Amino acid sequence: MLEIANLRKYFSSGLLWKQSVKAVDGVSFHIERGETLGLVGESGCGKTTVGRLLLRLIEPTEGKIFFDDIDVLQLKKKELRKLRPRMQMIFQDPDASLNPRMKIGDSIAEPLKLQGHLDSDGIKDKVLDLIETVGLNPEHRNRYPYQLSGGQNQRVVLARVLALNPDFIVADEPTSSLDVSIQAQILNLMQDLKREMHLTILFISHDLEVVRHMSDRIAVMYRGKIVEIGTANDIFENPRHPYTKTLLSSSSDD
Amino acid sequence: MSLLSITHLKVHFPTQDGIVKAVNTIDLEIANNERLGLIGETGCGKTVLGMSIIRLLPPSTTIEGEIKYKGNDLLKLTEKEIRKIRGKEIAMILQNPTTSLNPVLKVGDQIAEAIKLHQGLAKRAAKAKTVEMLEAVKIPDATKRANEYPHQFSGGMKERAMIAMGLACDPAMIIADEPTKGLDITVKKQIVKLMKEVTTQKTMLFITHDLGVAAEICDNITVMYAGELMEYANTEAIFKNPLHPYTQGFLNSLPSMGLKAIKGMSPSLINLPSGCRFHPRCDCANAKCKTEHPELIEVEKSHYVRCFQYA
Repeated sequence: MLEIANLRKYFSSGLLWKQSVKAVDGVSFHIERGETLGLVGESGCGKTTVGRLLLRLIEPTEGKIFFDDIDVLQLKKKELRKLRPRMQMIFQDPDASLNPRMKIGDSIAEPLKLQGHLDSDGIKDKVLDLIETVGLNPEHRNRYPYQLSGGQNQRVVLARVLALNPDFIVADEPTSSLDVSIQAQILNLMQDLKREMHLTILFISHDLEVVRHMSDRIAVMYRGKIVEIGTANDIFENPRHPYTKTLLSSSSDD
Repeated sequence: MSLLSITHLKVHFPTQDGIVKAVNTIDLEIANNERLGLIGETGCGKTVLGMSIIRLLPPSTTIEGEIKYKGNDLLKLTEKEIRKIRGKEIAMILQNPTTSLNPVLKVGDQIAEAIKLHQGLAKRAAKAKTVEMLEAVKIPDATKRANEYPHQFSGGMKERAMIAMGLACDPAMIIADEPTKGLDITVKKQIVKLMKEVTTQKTMLFITHDLGVAAEICDNITVMYAGELMEYANTEAIFKNPLHPYTQGFLNSLPSMGLKAIKGMSPSLINLPSGCRFHPRCDCANAKCKTEHPELIEVEKSHYVRCFQYA
């Protein structure tokens, strides 16, 4: 489904004395159709940058990305726009990913309108459909994001993402700003939706337990590099890399 | 003898939409050198409870009940008197260090401010004490770091600075409000370890929604829901033998316990459910739970629960 090879992204700063930060430093992996790959690491290890690179929200310094055998980095803007609905991203902070001045219903309708496949009645039905899918009530349509809780807003973000029938979703710490009990609701919802809609997911998180629950395979990232990749069980039962071991031990007696 | 004892505390805020009943008749005692964990979901009123102890709530708030600290009712003190308690006797470590620190003042100066005010130290002595505090919370190169601004600190370092600020005047009691929120797992572990170390000789109210962290630090734990205490017991009992359905649900929603969610959402503090506050989400609820309000009762020694199952 998705394959990346030797992906690099260096951020440079400074005019005279250029300093560059190797945010992503030669990352390669693939994701099978219908699979969830968990990407774990601490803040600043470059995991979010990988997610953004995959969707070409930022341009890599070097490397290759193939999505369904399409060379994503060779695409022109117009072609990329056609591909975008199939690849979506869920960001960390649900409150910041929604337009505060737009009603929930309009927020969900927006991608459908832009796509232009449906007339206004069709959009209305689809919005109601989506609202139900993610477990919200129809009356939420006329509310604003500030009137909903963080967990409800994350459901709205999910509905927006699902509106376009994507094949592939990058979920970047989708529950890091939520309470434990709400986190469980959202993660279970994502699992159900994945099964029903045959989604492929890159699940980015720093929480190993959450990643274990969500993923088929796990990639551990440290300072811009993937240090270990394997099935979820392998990583937990038989970690090879010292960094993975440190991560595991700090989560177990936490 | 308890250091802090709260009796029949009610805290309500008037808002445009109605009265927010954040704290509803809470009774709680914290013994000297006890570390008590206050656990609950966002919006259950736990931060408000913490804030009401050192009276950091807006003037429009209505507060009823008593908060006795060393025998004096904190709610009856004048503004001048409470200021002598705040920071010196009881210090609060606020959540979100990024917004709690003043971005345009040097970190060291912000810590020194409290020291100068409460301990009456001169500028140079206060500075020396500040550096000492930063060293105590294990900030490397403390002399240099004291002269830096908050944006030059990482999240974990800022949290350490906040802890240093809380401890600066050697308070008898600390109220820590989610000090590990938003921190990475490895950094979180360091902060928990530090909090444990620096509070061995202190009384602490530790507010969090992170059960793992509470288990690590606290002697006793109380679970709050919709402005009420639902369960109170020692840490081991809460984890090994949780009695209240809400506590059980809360534990089961942990990723390591299988991520089983509690159905529904926490109620709005404006329209509280009738009867038991938890009944709309409870699998064990019956007709009585919908109409009658359960009391907090002691079912085992020092294990209190608010549920009709045990009445």
